[in-house]
Amino acid sequence: MAIAVEMRGIRKEFPGVVANDDVDFAVEEGEIHALVGENGAGKTTLMNVLYGLYHAEAGTIKIRGQPVQIRKNSDAISLGIGMVHQSFKLVSSFTVAENITLGAESRTGIFLDRKTIHDNVVEISERFGLKVDPDARIQDLPVGVQQRVEILKTLYRNADILVLDEPTAVLTPQETRELFGVIRSLVHEGKTVVFITHKLREVMEISDRVTVMRDGKMVGTKVTKDTSPRELARMMVGREVLLRVKKDKAKTGDIVLRLENLKVRDDRDLMAIRGISLEVRAGEILGVAGVEGNGQRELVDAIVGLRPVVAGSVHISGEAVTTLPVRGRRETGMSCVPEDRYVRGLALPATVEENLIVTGYHKAPMSRAGLLNSKEISNYANEAIKTFDVRTTGKDVPASTLSGGNLQKVVLARELSTHPDLLIAAQPTRGLDIGSIEFVHQRIVDARDRGTAVLLVSAELEEVMSLSDRIAVLYEGEIVGTIDAGKATEDGLGLGMAGITDEDEPEAKEAGHD
Amino acid sequence: MDTTVLLDILQRYVFNVANLQGMLRLSTPIVLAGLCALITSRAGILNIAGEGMILFGAWFAVAGSYFAENALVGVAAAMLSGAVIGGLFALFSLRFRAHIIIMGIAINIFANAATIFLTRAVFKQAGAFAAPRIQGLNPIALPIIKDIPILGEVLSGYSLIVYLTWILVALTTLFLYRTPWGLHLRAVGENPQAAETLGINVPRIRFAAVMASGVYASLAGVYLSLGHLKMYTDQMAAGRGYIGMAVNTFGGGEPIGVFLASTLFGLVDTIGWRLQGERIMPVYFISMLPYVATLVALTVFTLRQQRAKRAALANNAEEE
Repeated sequence: MAIAVEMRGIRKEFPGVVANDDVDFAVEEGEIHALVGENGAGKTTLMNVLYGLYHAEAGTIKIRGQPVQIRKNSDAISLGIGMVHQSFKLVSSFTVAENITLGAESRTGIFLDRKTIHDNVVEISERFGLKVDPDARIQDLPVGVQQRVEILKTLYRNADILVLDEPTAVLTPQETRELFGVIRSLVHEGKTVVFITHKLREVMEISDRVTVMRDGKMVGTKVTKDTSPRELARMMVGREVLLRVKKDKAKTGDIVLRLENLKVRDDRDLMAIRGISLEVRAGEILGVAGVEGNGQRELVDAIVGLRPVVAGSVHISGEAVTTLPVRGRRETGMSCVPEDRYVRGLALPATVEENLIVTGYHKAPMSRAGLLNSKEISNYANEAIKTFDVRTTGKDVPASTLSGGNLQKVVLARELSTHPDLLIAAQPTRGLDIGSIEFVHQRIVDARDRGTAVLLVSAELEEVMSLSDRIAVLYEGEIVGTIDAGKATEDGLGLGMAGITDEDEPEAKEAGHD
Repeated sequence: MDTTVLLDILQRYVFNVANLQGMLRLSTPIVLAGLCALITSRAGILNIAGEGMILFGAWFAVAGSYFAENALVGVAAAMLSGAVIGGLFALFSLRFRAHIIIMGIAINIFANAATIFLTRAVFKQAGAFAAPRIQGLNPIALPIIKDIPILGEVLSGYSLIVYLTWILVALTTLFLYRTPWGLHLRAVGENPQAAETLGINVPRIRFAAVMASGVYASLAGVYLSLGHLKMYTDQMAAGRGYIGMAVNTFGGGEPIGVFLASTLFGLVDTIGWRLQGERIMPVYFISMLPYVATLVALTVFTLRQQRAKRAALANNAEEE
């Protein structure tokens, strides 16, 4: 097999960090090569160097055996390298055809040749079996189709080495399967695919070989069929990791959270939650599965008190809290790990200590007579940092200096050290690496075992399945089914997430607790 | 008040040939200021320096015309000044990363002071400068069209800059929607990362857009100083740079929208002039009208846009 890409001794520094440290990476022609590693391991950086978006401080690159200099990304494009970024780079008011051909349009004189552009796009989409409507506007298309447009963009530029950066993060299981079909047919057409991911199951399913990175360094390359998720996880983290959370059967108590026919509008004033009723009992985890944008955010906001409720009610421990403000709800024993720790979870310029006390600074013992008690506060902060194993140089450094995993530990420390009756956890492990995910999961299960009622909202199906005691599937603002976690299958949930409910199949509604 | 009186008033003050002429004439600098705002906003840049660029354009038009005793040299000098000021603005805000709003304010203040200084230093005059040597842009009668009754009166007999403005509206539309560069400019404005990853040179396109905006604005200045009066007055831009930003928003970022929005302001302006002559209301109140119109138009427009957006979204939701 010929070598398609050979990167040697790549070094890329950012202020204060070495993102790639003497990295060697090679991809054979015609293979599907998975590139895995924790967040911040340097996978995307390495690929951005290949794609000409970053300039490496040291190292050489060979494409199809030829040494090359990639100074800007048009160099990479002309070498036949294409990259589909994690966040799509599409102009949403433009048509599919305009997006695919942008920067390399057919012209007649000084004008655009719209007919040729249209025909080219039709031709290329047929050739690779990626169906799109050339005249549709991006803003009207679902995410899966937008991704197809991104892939077509690279094919239009004659890419034969395709880099896909975490392509499945935004897809439903069904869309993922479809994408895998596309990837296989591309390889069949002679293309080479580099597939960045941190989901080991996908690595095992799709790749021929897999390369693992950790802390900016290359750990090793394996032939996929000769390795196991366990071995890969160990290579990624550098130690043994629990891939599945250990937990005992739930010992459920009284109802803590009760929603009655809840209706909530989104920012655009549309009905996002269309009448949801559910209950979460003490000592159980209710997982809410669903593709993002089906009302998760609005549901969490409405429970926490950040968004007005149109109709229906929220009860915490028997008390109606629908009209209470956020602090009033917290007084009833609610706490929340918000979806976006950088925006809502933490104040990044504030210190770790300040972030830790922000939910309790106004009460004794942290303050007396309107003055903060700095001794109490620093004891509390040091204790929280120790218990939750926050890796920081001190409690007085700005939160922004911490890594993502440690930031989430600060959030968890703040939200869990009050021993809440109810925990709302929204996407608690988004963007975290395997090691941190393990930690967060363990803490959530610990809280459950202490009798906290947990509402877990997550776009990661695996997470919902492994953590929850019961699972509710959210689709377009409605719960299409609630099922015992033990009985849930990925396919069943996936269909529900796509809005396909089989009426014949008995739904185990409100099952799962004694 | 009975209806005949009302109609009479409407005809006298609003709908007559003289008013339509005034409308097209007075809207010209606003269209150009609007295009100045448009070309930058479509490239994703908030350019508030239009006011200063217009002022420089007005001054250099007079200076060019005075020294060469040729109006076209004035036009060329103004356009050059627009490109240079635009280039400086782009250099500082895009290349050296000065804050774009602060930089825009700086250009406006600088233009104000620099033109006052230049008038004193070069022409030894204060406040205003007029001289017989300054050649204005003379009215041009359009062949054939001028002989059509009424329409000929309304459409013919303006100076070069008015016709040029109409042509520029068409050319700008063609550029945005029919040429690759227009497509690139719009892509850069809407999603610069997308453009960048496709090998489009984002900084270069933005630089060019800012320079072009300077040229548009300078032509607005030319109209003010040579298109009508043949003189330069301090601060003669009189907020038109900002009204340009308003008509760009009002016109939905489309050249034809800018043109139509501007004619509305031109009409208000014209009516204002007419009313001033009649001494019906205080002069200061009347000269406030274009600015009040700006506020009202923007408010109405924004409200309507929000409602339309909400309705469209609700429709979509129902279809699903």
